[in-house]
Amino acid sequence: MKMKWSSAVRVLSVFAVLFVSGARGPAQPGPVGHARDFTSVEYYDAPLNQTQMKSRLSGAETQPLPGGLLVIKQLKLETFTTNGSPQAIIKAPECTYDMQNGRASSAGHLQLQSGDGKIRVEGDGFLWRQDDSFLTISNHVHTVIETGPEMNTGL
Amino acid sequence: MAVTAGPAARAQSDTNAAPPPPRVTHIDSDSADFDGNGHTVTYCGHVRVSDPAMNLTCARLVADLPEAGGRPSRIVAETNVVIDSTDSKGQTTHVTGDQAVYIYNVQNGVTNETVTLTGNPQPQVKNAQGTMAADVITWDRANNGYRFIGNYHMVSDQNFSVMTDTNLPPANTSNLAAPKINSPASITNNLAAPK
Repeated sequence: MKMKWSSAVRVLSVFAVLFVSGARGPAQPGPVGHARDFTSVEYYDAPLNQTQMKSRLSGAETQPLPGGLLVIKQLKLETFTTNGSPQAIIKAPECTYDMQNGRASSAGHLQLQSGDGKIRVEGDGFLWRQDDSFLTISNHVHTVIETGPEMNTGL
Repeated sequence: MAVTAGPAARAQSDTNAAPPPPRVTHIDSDSADFDGNGHTVTYCGHVRVSDPAMNLTCARLVADLPEAGGRPSRIVAETNVVIDSTDSKGQTTHVTGDQAVYIYNVQNGVTNETVTLTGNPQPQVKNAQGTMAADVITWDRANNGYRFIGNYHMVSDQNFSVMTDTNLPPANTSNLAAPKINSPASITNNLAAPK
């Protein structure tokens, strides 16, 4: 009578890694003026190879708004591990970033996935608070975790 | 051309066999909070966890995530918790409770992994042996057994009999509600499937 309870448990743990490391991305300094088809790259600090990308933020358009807000369309944030492997990919058709308060939000769709694509989370409407590293997805949250048989904990 | 057979051919065949498909787990909910500082994930509203061997539904699911990563040490499922699972032999188990707390830890090389069901109405476990209920049901996953604490009672689905304690009056079998047994403080029921 082995229930597969911990498959979800295992997934949550991996997802947390994805979230904690990847969702910091929108709060990273990015373009602050009007721009189209932009890309902003952040590199690892020394002593790591300083040409090693830590994250890459891209978008189709950014539009500054009063109050320190920045609208980013077709947001795509990629994060990388220290060895250059993809760690997480975050996509949002539109996102408003509050530069003063360090918050990113949208009423639209949000997609997160691990670098290998085996963990995927999506939902509608989100708020990311940089100060306490807190992400809320407000509606229709769907998480998919793919685990190979070798990862089965047998539970 | 000779047809290859035997262990060597089988080994070759195994080598060439396509890898088994990945196991896919889905978690759906109305909303979710991911607390990076508190290291918790909270799914709220119509929570559904499903994979090929297990379905779980509840109103709220909170997982504590170790800061160093790895398997969560504690998961709490709350409100109308229903777990349906199927083991490798195809036997199904239906578990209900108001709250289910999953605990995992390793102490002195010994793995402790339990799911403790509590709440009102009484948690229940229903499988091929029958339906068992108690105030507290602990599913010892490491040892594949159940422990029932407080107001234990069981109704067998196999012979339609009602288990009673001799200290109690004869059971009224026309009453669909199973009588409670003057059970010891706890009852351990190892429900491991026969090999």
